[in-house]
Amino acid sequence: MSAVSSWVSETLVRDATERRIFAVLGLITVLLVAGVFAGVIGPRFLLFQIALVGMYALLSLGLNVQWGYAGLINFSVAAFWGIGAYCAALLTAPNSPLGLGLHPVFGFLAAIVVSALIAVLIGIPTLRLREDYLAIASLGLAEVIRAIILNERRWTAGSSGISGIPNLMSWLPLTDAATTAAIVVVLIAVVYLFLRRVHRSPWGRVLRTIRSDEDLAKALGKDTYRFKMQAFVIGSVIMAVAGAFYAHLNLYIDPSDLVPLTTFYIWIAVILGGTGSNRGAVVGAAVVIAIREGTRFLNDIGFIQTLGIDLAPLRLLFVGGLIILIMRFRQDGLLPPKDELIWPAARDGSRSGGASPSSAAPDGGTAPNGGDDR
Amino acid sequence: MIPLQISPFQYVANGVVFSSIIVLAAIGLSLVYSIADFANFAHGDLMTVGAFSALFSVGFFRPMLGDAGVFGLPLWFFLALAFGMGTAAVISVITDRVIYQPVKGSDSIGLLISSIGVALVYRALVFLSFGTEAERYGVPRQGPIPWVRESLGIAVTPRNLVVVTLTVVLVAALHLTLTRTTLGRKMRATADNADLARISGIRTSEVIIAMWLIGGALAAAGGVFLGLEELVRPRMGFDILLIVFAAVILGGIGSVYGAMLGGLVIGMVHELVPLFNQWGVIPVGSRYAAAVAFVIMVAILLVRPSGIAGDSG
Repeated sequence: MSAVSSWVSETLVRDATERRIFAVLGLITVLLVAGVFAGVIGPRFLLFQIALVGMYALLSLGLNVQWGYAGLINFSVAAFWGIGAYCAALLTAPNSPLGLGLHPVFGFLAAIVVSALIAVLIGIPTLRLREDYLAIASLGLAEVIRAIILNERRWTAGSSGISGIPNLMSWLPLTDAATTAAIVVVLIAVVYLFLRRVHRSPWGRVLRTIRSDEDLAKALGKDTYRFKMQAFVIGSVIMAVAGAFYAHLNLYIDPSDLVPLTTFYIWIAVILGGTGSNRGAVVGAAVVIAIREGTRFLNDIGFIQTLGIDLAPLRLLFVGGLIILIMRFRQDGLLPPKDELIWPAARDGSRSGGASPSSAAPDGGTAPNGGDDR
Repeated sequence: MIPLQISPFQYVANGVVFSSIIVLAAIGLSLVYSIADFANFAHGDLMTVGAFSALFSVGFFRPMLGDAGVFGLPLWFFLALAFGMGTAAVISVITDRVIYQPVKGSDSIGLLISSIGVALVYRALVFLSFGTEAERYGVPRQGPIPWVRESLGIAVTPRNLVVVTLTVVLVAALHLTLTRTTLGRKMRATADNADLARISGIRTSEVIIAMWLIGGALAAAGGVFLGLEELVRPRMGFDILLIVFAAVILGGIGSVYGAMLGGLVIGMVHELVPLFNQWGVIPVGSRYAAAVAFVIMVAILLVRPSGIAGDSG
C-alpha cells in the first residue's frame, strides 16, 4: 500500500495546482460512477464516453509528439485521424465501396502505412523550412484530403459515409462497449509507455533541443530534418491509429468530422494539458471531450431549446476564446512537463549525491525518493 | 447567359476577377507577415467580418440612397464597401491591441496559434449576429455587357468590371503609399528590419497600427467582392484562406509585390482548372481547384521556398 501512496504523491499531487486538478478530476469520476449506480447514466453511455476520451487522448498524444516534443505545427490532425478511420472502414466494412470485409488488423496496418506515407510526403517540402510553412501546408493538406473523401464517391462513399464497420474483438466475453473501452485503455498505455521511453532517450533529448533552439542542435551536428521527420511520422501514425479505433468504436464514419475544428479541439487538449507533457495531453483530452459532450448535452435540455439558442456558434466562440486565453495567460498549460523527462535513476543519483541543484525538482513537494516518476 | 461552348477567354475573364479578390487578401496577409512577423490564420475570417459588416450597413445605406447608381452598381453598395473596409480595419487594430500585443513576449508561433483562436472567435461572432445562412447584398441582377459579349464572345458583367477596377485602384494607391509617402517608407523600413527602424527613430508601434488598418481594409474589400461575386457566407473567408496562403508563399512571404503577383497567378490558375482539365493537362476538375493551388504551393516550397519575389528562405 505504501508503494501505491508514494506513487500517488510522486506523480499526481506534487504541488497545489496538480492537487486541485486531480481533485476535480477525481470528483467528476466519483460523480459519474455514482450516476451509473443511481441509474441516471447508462453504463453503456459511460463506457462509450470513456472510449471517446481515450481516442481523444491518443490524438493528443500524437500531436504532443509533434508540437510538444519537436515544436512542429500540424494543423491536419483531423486529416490523419480521417485517414486512419477511412482505412479501417474501407477495408473491414463488408458494405464499403471496396467491399472487402477484411479482419480489423488489416485496417490498422493500412492506417499506419498510409498515414506514415502521407506524413513523409508533406514533411519533405516543409520540415526543412521555418515552422510556419508546415502549419500552412498541413492546413492545406487537411482540406485536400477532405475534398478527396467527399468527391471520390466511388472509393469513399462520399458524404453518405460508411456503415457496418465490425466491432473489435467481439469474441471477448464482454459487452461491445466494455471491449472497446478496454482496448483503448490498452492502446493508451502502450503508446504512453512507448512515448515516455523514447522521450527520455537521446532521441527525445535531441528533439527537445530542436524545439528550443534548432540552430544549436544543428551546430551539435544533428540532422534536425531527420529527427523532425521521425517525430512527425510517429505522431501522425498515432493519430491514424486513433482514427482506426474510432471507426470500430462508432461503427460508422462520414467526412463531417474531418473539419478543421476537430483539429483545433486536439490543439486545445495539448496546449491546455501542457505542451510536451503526456499526462497533460491525456487530461486535456478529457477536458475537451467534457466540453464537446457537455455542450451537446445542454442541447437536449428543454429550457435551452426554448431559448432558441444554437449552441454550435457558442461552442466555436468558446474554443476560440479558450485558445486565446491559454496563449495569453497560461502557456504552460495545466500540467506542464517537469521531471518526467529525466530517468528516475539519474534523478535519484543526483539527489543522493546532493551535488547538482536539481532544477527539475517538484515545486512545493516533499516528495520522497523512490517509485516511478511518470 | 453563358454560351454553351464556354470560350477559353471566359475562364480567363473569371480568372481576372477571382485574382483581384485573392490579390487584395494576399497583400494584407503578406503585410502582417512582414511587419508583425507571423502567419495570421485569422485573415480569412477577417475577410468574412468585412463582408458581413458591409452587409449590415446595407440595411441603412439602402433606404437612405435609394436606387441611384454609378458604374452599373447602386451607390449604396460603394458606401457599404467603404463601411466594411473601415470596420474590418478598426477590428483588426483592436484585435492586435487586445490579443496579439500582450502575447508579443512569446515568439511568432504563439501569435500564430493565438490567431487560430481569433479566427474561430470572429467566425462565431459572425454566426451569432447573422445566422448560418448564406446571404446576398441584394445588388440587382445584371446581364453581361452586350458589346463585350458580341466582340469577344464572353460574358462580363458591370460588377466584374467594378471589382477589377477598384482592385487596381486600391493596389495602385497602396503602391503609391509605400513608395511616395513617409508612412510608406517607414513601413518598408520596419518590414525590412524592425530593430534598425526603431533605432533610427521610427515609431514602429504607429507603423504597426497603419499596417493593420491597411491589411484589414484590403481584406474586407476582398471579402466584399467575394460576397458580391458569389455569396456572403460565414465560412467564406476560412474556405479561401488556403488559396490566399498559396498566393503569399508563391509570391514570397512578406513581399507585398510578390503577393500581388502570387495572387494573380494563383487566382488565375484556380479559375483555369476546368479549362486545363478539358485540355487534358490535369486530370481533375473544378472541385479540386483549391487542391491544385495547394499542389502549386507545395511545389514552390520544394523548388524555391522563398517564392518569386522573396529574398531569403
